[in-house]
Amino acid sequence: MLTFIEMEFLKLKRSNIFLLSLIGAILPPLLMFIAVSAFGEGSTFAVLFSNVNMYMSAIFAVLLFAIMISYLFGREYNEHTLKTMLTIPVSRGKFLISKYIMFLVWIVILTVVTTLSTAIFGFAAGLEGFSLKLFIDSFTQLLFANGLLFLTFSPFVFVSLFVTNMVLAMVGGAGLTLLNLLIYGQNWAPYVPWVCPYLIASGEIADYSASITVSYGIILLTFVIGLIISYLYFTKTDVNL
Amino acid sequence: MVDYVIETNNLSKIYSKTKVVNSVNMHVEKGKIYGLLGKNGAGKTTTMCMLLNLTYPSGGEISLFGKDPKKYPKQIYPKIGSIIETPGFYENLTAYENLKIISRLRGNYNPQNIRLVLEMVNLSDAKSKKYKDFSLGMKQRLGIAAAIMHNPELLILDEPINGLDPFGIKEIRALLKRLAHEFGITILISSHILSEIENIADVIGFMDEGVLIEEISKEELYGRLNKFVEFEVSNIDLAVEILKKLELKENVDFTFNDDRVINLYSHLELRDKLNALFVKAGIDVKKVNLCEENLEDFFTRVVSNN
Repeated sequence: MLTFIEMEFLKLKRSNIFLLSLIGAILPPLLMFIAVSAFGEGSTFAVLFSNVNMYMSAIFAVLLFAIMISYLFGREYNEHTLKTMLTIPVSRGKFLISKYIMFLVWIVILTVVTTLSTAIFGFAAGLEGFSLKLFIDSFTQLLFANGLLFLTFSPFVFVSLFVTNMVLAMVGGAGLTLLNLLIYGQNWAPYVPWVCPYLIASGEIADYSASITVSYGIILLTFVIGLIISYLYFTKTDVNL
Repeated sequence: MVDYVIETNNLSKIYSKTKVVNSVNMHVEKGKIYGLLGKNGAGKTTTMCMLLNLTYPSGGEISLFGKDPKKYPKQIYPKIGSIIETPGFYENLTAYENLKIISRLRGNYNPQNIRLVLEMVNLSDAKSKKYKDFSLGMKQRLGIAAAIMHNPELLILDEPINGLDPFGIKEIRALLKRLAHEFGITILISSHILSEIENIADVIGFMDEGVLIEEISKEELYGRLNKFVEFEVSNIDLAVEILKKLELKENVDFTFNDDRVINLYSHLELRDKLNALFVKAGIDVKKVNLCEENLEDFFTRVVSNN
């Protein structure tokens, strides 16, 4: 499996989407830096980290992750490499799992980039209140939120296997982002799989009457359903040339 | 007993009620080049995809190296190299990197081996070039490099000469012949180009509308090509009248066309007598040729009979 992951990394070499995703990971801290510098939005590191984590995991990550997952799976169809991989031979199940793991590793990389760039922008803006504990706590919170969000993206894997066009992923991701914006703050936000990861990670879920167990259950259910349908679809259907 | 590397039994594939592969019984002998010949849409690619487990059969059985590939995939598929339609590689990576991924996943990565195989397909100079900058011919060569890199015992090549220039076709043809005849690699190659199959294959399988009509060796094929005599005459009506008087039947023993050409398929030994009769009747005989049916004519005949 380690070779699989290593090869997935090699596949991303010189990839524009990978570079764009890194820029995407820097975008929320950059926008917050502009907000702090130009409009005085928040004056401490704590506020900056908190805002970046919210904008990233509750809003921007949804679009970003949809594009990433569509690229990871869709490119194997669009570049006709799936037939090359499967005739090596590579087991379809192993191939699917390696993609899931690569997606998770990619998310971790983006989380590191977001947190690091937030700290750098914070120093550039001359904010006060930085501490290693704050940095680690903020990173952990974002990693936890993005990790939960990762679980909710397994249905997107199925969609990416079914429709390999990245435009659909962009439209779907943008739609889901808008949905998150509409739902965030509503009473039933903890029941929506793509909103509750941030609510759980940030502790905001305590402000809602919903049980946190139900939110975890919804996330896990989404993951399991997505995993099963993507596995069944991928292993039972013919490879489109 | 003949040692078959590929053997299928009533292999079929149905797509929305259409049988695209219909009860195919294929026999590919060890060390031979088997040319699968058929028009576009004849079912060649689907058959190959089923052999490679990319497409699941709707019915029938497949035996590769004498074993059921469903039961022994890990033993069988590493012994196969393949190209199906356009070769698929990662566009952002170089030729070397693409081959590295494949060999690492196969578990036999060896930089020297990659260099050697790139040299074999004349891509040494392009090993650091990104795949997206490759010409169609270069892509095809890289596909062949990937297919032979792990010294397979069986090559399944679907239209591998697509996009190659005449010089490239000649080189690849020579390479495939060498692989089969010197190294004993069995090759299943498909094409819709008759001359290519005729040039390279030891055994030819004729496929049409999903049916494998016939499998014959090249020697057998040459023995079965029809011979006929072609007359070019000045008065076609009178010449046809003479043939009919000799009780030769139109469309059975002979055919004729508007270019005043008569093709005689039977009683070829009468050609001298016929020539004399035509001349005696005042017909100018401009040409008398003893001809042999080519693969194209044979293919057309076999498909029409089917």
